Amino acid sequence: MQPGPGNIPTLEGVRHIIAVGSGKGGVGKSTVSANLALALHMHGQRVGLMDADIYGPSMPMMMGLGPVDPQIASFPIEKYGLKIMSLGFLPDAGKGVLLRGPMVAKWVATFLTQINWGELDYLIIDLPPGTGDAQLTLCQTAPLTGAIIVTTPQDVSLIDAVKALNMFRQLKTPILGVIENMSYFVGDDGKRYEIFRHGGGLKLAAESGVRFLGNLPIDPRVVECGDAGEPIVSKFSDSPIAKLYLELATVIMDASAKAGKEKLPEVIL
Amino acid sequence: MASDLKPLALRREGDGLAIDWNDGVRTFATWRTIRKSCPCASCNEERQKPADPFKLLSDVEVSAGSPQPAQMAARGLYAYQITWNDGHDTGIFTLELLRKLGQPTS
Repeated sequence: MQPGPGNIPTLEGVRHIIAVGSGKGGVGKSTVSANLALALHMHGQRVGLMDADIYGPSMPMMMGLGPVDPQIASFPIEKYGLKIMSLGFLPDAGKGVLLRGPMVAKWVATFLTQINWGELDYLIIDLPPGTGDAQLTLCQTAPLTGAIIVTTPQDVSLIDAVKALNMFRQLKTPILGVIENMSYFVGDDGKRYEIFRHGGGLKLAAESGVRFLGNLPIDPRVVECGDAGEPIVSKFSDSPIAKLYLELATVIMDASAKAGKEKLPEVIL
Repeated sequence: MASDLKPLALRREGDGLAIDWNDGVRTFATWRTIRKSCPCASCNEERQKPADPFKLLSDVEVSAGSPQPAQMAARGLYAYQITWNDGHDTGIFTLELLRKLGQPTS
């Protein structure tokens, strides 16, 4: 039997656990997770970042970390003031990970229950795309404060974002809100271009009755920073997008405080 | 049924489970009823097959007697997982299912 919420010693010192999901791949969950984690840290919070994307872990590259020797390394690994855990730290992860669903669930549960997260204000969990084993195990195992849904503006992203939203609702996980990523691009001419359309995230939030957390623009430096191993919030902390992430972190801190930490009652047998 | 249905208290009463819900309803279901409605994949498959009169029970199943929970732990905010006295533990009972299985007593 998997451990349930409330009896996981490794998470006892963690105040808020927040899952970042989308349903669809490629909308920027990992980028948002990494930058949001750093923005929370810049607000003076103690933050952990767990990469639950077992098949395609991207956190090591985004954080300028590579494979380590698991025999001598101490997990989670610290970088930029964050405590980070990812399957991408294992030496063979770069060759590709071939795992069936139950093993994915096992890895997610292992990260939650075997890694000493210590005292944290926030543990941000970067989910893989979809509504499968990783998501289910997370919602069954960790006492989540809530989930954030990341989407891009276009319909093809929104149809999967709705599925993720409904999954969290079915699992009775509070939804902190929706973020629209790649919302617009500001050119050198100062004009705003809505490359992938605009407003889908706001529409999704309104139709689903959840909070809209904000728009994040396209900035090519986000990609460059991610590939270079230092997220934009850290590398260019004065950039407009970094400021938006800092504002977003404030909103998340407020939403987390209001969400509290619910638990199902224990059964008296 | 309200979408934000929540149990306020769950306790064993006699041969079953009594639950007080946040809408003021109290329900009771026997352990046998709950065990027979186990939603796990193997129990679902078993229910679809015709009854096997020659099924041999394992030693654990024989010694277990009537179904009793050994453990009942919360799964996130949406369900409880029951470990039965015969060792079966793969059923995750959502709050909606527990409500459906229980008979209102007040």
